[in-house]
Amino acid sequence: MTEQEVIKLTNEVFIDSFEIEKSKLVPEANIFIDLGLDSLDVVDLVVALQKKFAVTIRDDERVRTIRTLGDLQQFILTIKKEIGK
Amino acid sequence: MRILKIAFLNLFFYPFFIIFTLTAILNLGSLVILLALFLPKRKVYRFLRQAIRWYGAVVIRILPFPLIRIVNKNYLANDPPGPYLFVCNHRAASDPFLMAVFPYEAVQVVNIWPFRLPALGIVAKIAGYLSVREMPYAEFAEKTAKLIAQGVSIVTFPEGTRSRNKCVGQFHSAIFRTALQTHATIVPVCITGNEFVPPVGSAFLQPTTIRIHRLAALTWEEYKNFNAFKLKNYCRDIIAKEVSIMDKLK
Repeated sequence: MTEQEVIKLTNEVFIDSFEIEKSKLVPEANIFIDLGLDSLDVVDLVVALQKKFAVTIRDDERVRTIRTLGDLQQFILTIKKEIGK
Repeated sequence: MRILKIAFLNLFFYPFFIIFTLTAILNLGSLVILLALFLPKRKVYRFLRQAIRWYGAVVIRILPFPLIRIVNKNYLANDPPGPYLFVCNHRAASDPFLMAVFPYEAVQVVNIWPFRLPALGIVAKIAGYLSVREMPYAEFAEKTAKLIAQGVSIVTFPEGTRSRNKCVGQFHSAIFRTALQTHATIVPVCITGNEFVPPVGSAFLQPTTIRIHRLAALTWEEYKNFNAFKLKNYCRDIIAKEVSIMDKLK
């Protein structure tokens, strides 16, 4: 999976599950401050991402360090690469 | 002149606030203990919450009058049946007292610090107020659903903390998830003028007019197809729009 595909699919999750405008989905957008998710919304986000990318990220400690959409996209990319090895 | 008014307001308000609070806790507390000996638990809770409302009404309407005035508007001609989930913007530490304007039995969702206030924190705990950050969401949802089933309204400030400017902050979703589970009616509440009572970082009250606008209720039928994220942002947008209009009023 390429970086562009990960970005496209991640953005789809935010648009479909949270109805966030596409224009707000920039890599530097803070998931909590700019996109307005809280800790409970993040649980929904993780579930939606797991379904979209067929990965398990719920118990991954690295999730806690994610702050921006760019961080999240890079994290998904890393996970997909790890699975592909 | 304004400095004199501020001095007078604070010199008058705080001593009477302390005396009245201690008197109210002593007298109403004794009455609650007495009632608990004879009445069912549910009726005692109802009385206690009513007593808190009376107390709050004196604190916000009488003690600071006429330098702080309350203008309370209800935009809903025919209320759908309660209980309600009151969703309010949050600018000042006085906001929980302002909820006394609503004539309903209610429990407030609070942050950690109100429970640590001397005397008032203990009363809030006894009255069943919910410290949302000190319990997992499942417990919060269960307790809230139980209260709603008993006919008790819930008052929340979903920004979670006082806003430091006139913008309405991002909302937390916990209460909106509960709304989706319980089908309770949501009532957006807008408060302005309260940012001076007292300003963030100060203990000095300032003369002002506090406006409380209770907007049209949002029933389950209207929001049942929303998810929690959409619902919280929908309510936030309604409140932010009204607050920006209210801020322009003199």
